[in-house]
Amino acid sequence: MVTLTERSGPASASSGATAPGKFLTFCLGGEDFAVPVSKIKEIIGLQEVTPVPQTPDFVRGVINLRGKVVPVIDLRRKLSIPGAADNERTCVVVMQPEGRQGTYSIGVVVDAVSEVLQIQGSEMEDTNSFSHGLIRATYIHGVAKIRGKVKILLDIDSVLSDSDQANVGELMA
Amino acid sequence: MSQEAELLRAIDSIVVELLARRDRDPEDFSPVSGLAHQAAGRAREMRLARTEAQADALAVLARQQPDSFGQSLGNLYQALEQSVNELQLTAETEIEQRLTGIETPEAAAREDLDAAAGMLPDFVSEAREHLEVIELQLLALEEAPREREPVHAIFRGFHTIKGLAGICGLESARELAHTVETLLDRVRGGTLAVTPNLIELALEGSDYLRGLVDAVEESLPGGTLALPRRPAALLTRLQAFSGDEPDEDSPAASTRVAEPAAETPAEASEAAPESAAPRQQGAASVKVDTAKLDQLVDMVGELVISQTLVRLDPALQAVSEPRLARNVAQLARITSELQKTAMSLRVVPIGPAFQRMARLVRDLTLKCGKQARLEMEGEDAELDRTIVERLMDPLMHMIRNAIDHGLETVEERVAAGKSPAGRLLLKAFHQSGHIVIEVSDDGRGINHQKILNRAISRGLVASDSQLTTAEILDLIFLPGFSTAEAVTDISGRGVGMDVVRKQIHALRGRVEIRSVEGQGTTFLLRLPLTLAIIEGLVVRVGQERYIMPLYAVHEIFRPDQGALSTIEGRHEVALVRDSVVPVLRLARLLKRRNSESHDDALPVLIMVELQSKRYGLVVDEVCGKQEVVIKSLGTWLGHVPGLSGGAILGDGSVGIIVDLESLIGAEVHAATH
Repeated sequence: MVTLTERSGPASASSGATAPGKFLTFCLGGEDFAVPVSKIKEIIGLQEVTPVPQTPDFVRGVINLRGKVVPVIDLRRKLSIPGAADNERTCVVVMQPEGRQGTYSIGVVVDAVSEVLQIQGSEMEDTNSFSHGLIRATYIHGVAKIRGKVKILLDIDSVLSDSDQANVGELMA
Repeated sequence: MSQEAELLRAIDSIVVELLARRDRDPEDFSPVSGLAHQAAGRAREMRLARTEAQADALAVLARQQPDSFGQSLGNLYQALEQSVNELQLTAETEIEQRLTGIETPEAAAREDLDAAAGMLPDFVSEAREHLEVIELQLLALEEAPREREPVHAIFRGFHTIKGLAGICGLESARELAHTVETLLDRVRGGTLAVTPNLIELALEGSDYLRGLVDAVEESLPGGTLALPRRPAALLTRLQAFSGDEPDEDSPAASTRVAEPAAETPAEASEAAPESAAPRQQGAASVKVDTAKLDQLVDMVGELVISQTLVRLDPALQAVSEPRLARNVAQLARITSELQKTAMSLRVVPIGPAFQRMARLVRDLTLKCGKQARLEMEGEDAELDRTIVERLMDPLMHMIRNAIDHGLETVEERVAAGKSPAGRLLLKAFHQSGHIVIEVSDDGRGINHQKILNRAISRGLVASDSQLTTAEILDLIFLPGFSTAEAVTDISGRGVGMDVVRKQIHALRGRVEIRSVEGQGTTFLLRLPLTLAIIEGLVVRVGQERYIMPLYAVHEIFRPDQGALSTIEGRHEVALVRDSVVPVLRLARLLKRRNSESHDDALPVLIMVELQSKRYGLVVDEVCGKQEVVIKSLGTWLGHVPGLSGGAILGDGSVGIIVDLESLIGAEVHAATH
């Protein structure tokens, strides 16, 4: 089973993110990612995003999600994956990561949503077990080998937590 | 330890003895009997006749053998238990009457609750908040008895409750809070150490207050107020603990007797129907979590906006079907009714806040030997609860200023041909979607020339500047204008007025001042009815739209060609009606370089006023005025500097609300450092 060393905080430790189960897979610049469906709220088409001044560049802005203001981030930029222009397959996955003050909603722009997969424990592998220290896996739990392809098990809690409620805005100040 | 405390402790030990025999099968209850006998002796010494009799009866009862009692042991135990309870009750009642000098138990429990009835709901909610803090801090103190911050916090809590209880006429709560406060003051002074006993006592005090608050709340929807009895035993123990004799202002025996005596039966019956009205209103009320209320108001706000979207949709407009038009119009009416109702859930009348000022006026005039009567108008005017709460401070400040510096002494007034008693007026009224609160006095008013001289000598204005009357009066709001010296020098209405204005600005309101020398001064506070909605000016900068609060906007115009010029090649200024105003570009303030204006058309200059300073703000276009519901940008983004939140605009997209104060403040800071 996967052991996790890079993570911190009680939220991610209890999230069970690497437990086998259903995962939503999506692609970002040619890489395939998987996030447990329990963290997914909904998938919406790319809509007009209002930019928010004084925030880091991976923050695309905010959208109106049925009356609630929800921030939207550009995961490509956050993970330094070379960007492609938005197209008709680009969409926003609204996720519910665990933060210090509980779960919150956040929109994540992805290139395309692929499918929902059942991933078995036997198909998962910890980053350390194959990378021999070559890969610093801050934001990933490990990988899953599905039909001869590698899906990155994204740790969405920690992707967002280093700029968590410690106020993304304040980082710029 | 005082006699009273000793007696109560002796009775406590009887309870303990009795409890120790509860589940056993003892030979007899003679130890209980012995203790009861001793208690009776003590009561005799203190001449507490009823306590003595009760203790004697207990002693006799405890000497009975279960058989000779004719019943089972269990029954005897029950009889003893009942007897001890009665003894406790009798002793406490009798001691309490001894301490307060009141003869009948009914009188002891009744509280002076006349005119304060309207303030009781506030007392309940505020006291609860403080009690929560007190309890939390007491527990923290138990963990770390050497920490001083919890002591201060607890002290403040009891102090505030004391004040509130005093205003509401809840004498026993006031007295208890005062006693605990005295105890804590000795801890603060270092003459008393924090011990588990002390914490226990303070907790008991807060428990009693909690019970009292509950009783007050229960009485609010129309029931009669059945207050818990004065906690004589607890007070005695508290005083015993701090090693104090009841000092003269603590149980206030004399005032307690005097005040109810002053209340004639006629007055009491007069007051009754008046207080019945609000009680009837409250009879059908429910308690709702304010967060839920906020959410409701939020959702209704959204409903109003989407209703507008539907109604104005071109597709719908194209349909010429009378029935549809009628129904849509009906929908609009219902939505706006709903919005009004939802908003009204969060509002409270300003009256209770005014009434608290009445108390302040009374105390202050007594203190400085002046005479004043406070008149109130428009106490029914309603506004958001949070605004009322945050208005208390500035109101108090202005009233204090009015009495300290505005009103003349009785002699001066008579000499000036005025009535000896000054007149203070608190007035609230609605005006174009705002509430205006007027605080005025008929005192000596403000001497313009002195203010101007003062400002010039302090370097706040140039000596040759030509200021209008209003501009001169405005000077007292400048930070640094008011000093203690200014109070005596000038007619002295400037103390801390910059703070008042800051507080009012934080509520998105404005302060105006009017004064005629020799006739008085009037402050006008113009406030929004709610903090959840603002009137915003929607502006365009490049491709982006922003909302700025309308209250800061003074005027909007397109500057002529050449009206804008630069200083040192980088600082822009505008010439507006012969005065030079610094110009800032919103795009640059928000660091939106990519959306800098490339428009050929001339930009729009928005004149904003922040803390008496004017700035010109350049935007590309003014799109319109709109009421918007303020929303947070979400916990993840948290607070973004320079922005105060977001709002859903008419077309369903999100608009960012800019916080001009912090944006411009940051710019000024950057320029000066």
